[in-house]
Amino acid sequence: MGGSLTRPIILLAITYALLKLVVPNIPGSAPLPSSLIFLYLMLTASGIVIFATLSGESKDAFWGPIQRFLTGENIGGLQVLRYGILILFPLIVGWQTYSSTAPSDQPPAESRTIHPAPPGEYTGLSNPVPKTPDNIMQGKGFYAAFCSPCHGGNFDGKGPAARGFNPPPANFSDPTTIAMLQESYLFWRIKKGGVGLPIEGMPWKSAMPRWEVELPDDWIWKIILGEYDGAHQSPRTWE
Amino acid sequence: MKSEKLMGQWIMWGGAAMVAAFILGGASVGMAQESVAVRAAKVAGALPVDDPNAAAWSSAVPATFPMSPQVHWKDRILEATVKDVTVRALHDGTQVAFLLEYADPTQDPDDAAALEFMVGDKKAHFAHGQPMAQVEGGPVNIWFWKNKADKAVDMNAKGFGTLKAQPHQDVKAKGTYSNGTWKVVFARNLSTEHPDEDTQVTPGEFINIAFAVWDGVKDASGELREKGSQKAVSSWWYFRADPPADYSGYMYAAMAVGLALGFQFVLIRKLKKGQ
Repeated sequence: MGGSLTRPIILLAITYALLKLVVPNIPGSAPLPSSLIFLYLMLTASGIVIFATLSGESKDAFWGPIQRFLTGENIGGLQVLRYGILILFPLIVGWQTYSSTAPSDQPPAESRTIHPAPPGEYTGLSNPVPKTPDNIMQGKGFYAAFCSPCHGGNFDGKGPAARGFNPPPANFSDPTTIAMLQESYLFWRIKKGGVGLPIEGMPWKSAMPRWEVELPDDWIWKIILGEYDGAHQSPRTWE
Repeated sequence: MKSEKLMGQWIMWGGAAMVAAFILGGASVGMAQESVAVRAAKVAGALPVDDPNAAAWSSAVPATFPMSPQVHWKDRILEATVKDVTVRALHDGTQVAFLLEYADPTQDPDDAAALEFMVGDKKAHFAHGQPMAQVEGGPVNIWFWKNKADKAVDMNAKGFGTLKAQPHQDVKAKGTYSNGTWKVVFARNLSTEHPDEDTQVTPGEFINIAFAVWDGVKDASGELREKGSQKAVSSWWYFRADPPADYSGYMYAAMAVGLALGFQFVLIRKLKKGQ
């Protein structure tokens, strides 16, 4: 086994360590999925093969040791490793084939759109209720009575009635919920409830009541004021 | 010459197939799931269709689902007694049986429990198949059990206020209470002659299931605390009756092992000849 194989192996190991240990720790980054790491390693390996086979000599220097290893001629103590690989390789291929063809045991994957587009008549409405301390306080009162059982007294989606619902009630203090929506959108969601969602929102799963049956519009607008204030968020506006 | 060319192609295809297998295999690894499904294993012996305490239940894998008070519809309650239900299921290829188990501090005549399923291909809202504004929904099939009758009622609904017992009753149910725990068994044939009203269970296919429980305890004024739409409910989860054993995965694996061995053999022989 010449030194010509040591460098590719070291290179692959360094690439793997970079992807696995260094990249996830770069600020703003995240751990890479194993399929992506695999893809990068495959690309690195193909690069190495292409580079190593550019000229006749480099090709021989690269393939020579591999060929000697595979044929088992004059490799001495590596013979054990050779047999190990020759036995292991078909087994790994068999296992991978089994796990990719065996019938799935998992429930169908569901991709629910959390904030689907509202119907046209609910876009761009502005809150007709002035944002006064009185109205905010009233809105918080309505919120406590009607919304907090699920969405929580702390606006965190952890009300006492929330536990059984899937999807869980929205957490308004999370910056990805009401902070990125307009008041108009909230008006639609509160008024029409879960059953008002389009198909991509999976309306059959939502426990959100259709509040138009029980609450007048101006109460809903006040609830929206109270919700933003209580969750310390602001509605998204047209910049 | 020709055979050598063929062999080269074989090696190429074998290598490509293996790379594909690796990529496919690697991509499907590691999808952790919560307890989102009830699974009915297939049993060879008798199905415990009317015995909540049968030994056979210990072989069924339990799945626990959280419950909420029913708040969707206006006749709501904000707190319900039952917080979780544990569900097991078994089937024998003809019938399916569910065992619902939950804590209830008191045994009351009005204690009741129900399973809910979608019917047909249309999605149905988990709250009794409430009409949906933008999606045409279907009906739900409800298997209802109440302690004082200790039998099942097979029902349909398409929106609150539309609940109706079916003219044909296909479901059996039996409950036992001990040590603060209800155990209720529901059983029915996997398929029925009324696919427009009854959920149909096809082994191997996931269908939606939801649960409801009423604590039949009365308050100080003698009124039932939980009744009608005032109950503990769950969202939709999944149910599947296990399909008959499928060994094709093993067959494909064996073929892949054979291919890989052949690839190794041909490659090494070719290398040895070449030297």
